[in-house]
Amino acid sequence: MSHKILTVDDSRTVRVLVQRTFKAYECQIFEAANGVEGLAMAAKELPDLILLDVTMPVMDGVEMLSKLKSDPDLKNIRVMMLTAEGSRENVLKIAKLGIRDYLVKPFKEKSLLEKALKIVELTRKPGEPEPVAKPSAMKLPIASIGSRAPQAAGPAPEPPPAPGGADQNFGKAQPAQLTGT
Amino acid sequence: MSVQLPITEALVREYIDHSISDVFQTMLTTMTVLVKGTAQAADEPWPPLHAGKEGAKPHIVGTVGFTGDINGVVYLYLDVDFARKCTRQLLGMTEAQLDEAGDEVVNDAIAELTNMSVGGFKNHLCDAGHPCLLTIPSIVRGTNFCVETTSAAQRHIFHFDCSGQHLVADIHIKDTD
Repeated sequence: MSHKILTVDDSRTVRVLVQRTFKAYECQIFEAANGVEGLAMAAKELPDLILLDVTMPVMDGVEMLSKLKSDPDLKNIRVMMLTAEGSRENVLKIAKLGIRDYLVKPFKEKSLLEKALKIVELTRKPGEPEPVAKPSAMKLPIASIGSRAPQAAGPAPEPPPAPGGADQNFGKAQPAQLTGT
Repeated sequence: MSVQLPITEALVREYIDHSISDVFQTMLTTMTVLVKGTAQAADEPWPPLHAGKEGAKPHIVGTVGFTGDINGVVYLYLDVDFARKCTRQLLGMTEAQLDEAGDEVVNDAIAELTNMSVGGFKNHLCDAGHPCLLTIPSIVRGTNFCVETTSAAQRHIFHFDCSGQHLVADIHIKDTD
């Protein structure tokens, strides 16, 4: 059975990273760029899991979560926060609204996957290798990532080609040269 | 309720260093080193990147504010080449793919990296007893421009080395108390 995951984030970059995180699994990823779109998509698709940002235009994630939990048809949808909002008080306030987990940005795709797998039982696509800590490059839906607006919902993209864009000396966590004090 | 710590230069330095280091390490697998920090920039060439004799290069500036008991804004300055490199690393794109995708993809990636960096900084402020919320990120592109601060605001400028690339965090804080 193919599960449905809805990512609600105004950043197209984050939505692409979410797509990449779940590309090896039998699931459909749906996208929304704010709380209003997120609620509409949730009502239409009844996803198994919502990955929800907090700071968004039009309607933020806290308001969307409140509305979701007050809707009898939607209140049982499981929600994981994926947001840069990570202060202790605000996390506690949001947690009280009813969420399954909370992941503060910046995030490793592996961490996102591990947390999601504790909430939704996803099946790996046949022939997909085990996930690794460092994500490989993916073939991006280039035409679709030019704005923060969401694209038409659909299944996760095909597995990626080998990385070709990374700089040889960039992204290897080598200590930088000190140039001053 | 957290005990409210006064916002000192040392605290701002610690918070922004930790936040930027965390974001670049986690999202780009790249270390950053804070190489210089100043409280004011009265005699500092501006814009900050390559503003010497050779003149300024095109900049991409990510901007995110925070508002609440404490208000402010953080500008992250990158030159265009570095911004493109970050975008390629983050999204796993080739140079050709990025050319095809266009500047909006770079803008979005830098906006998100700024959001995460300022988010971490803001979370430190909240946990130090200064509750506030983030604003939505925005991007400014340009070559020859100057950002000034009001007399009521503190300004902190920090230069980072990121595998030979230059990143500048320009922080303006206005305490509402």
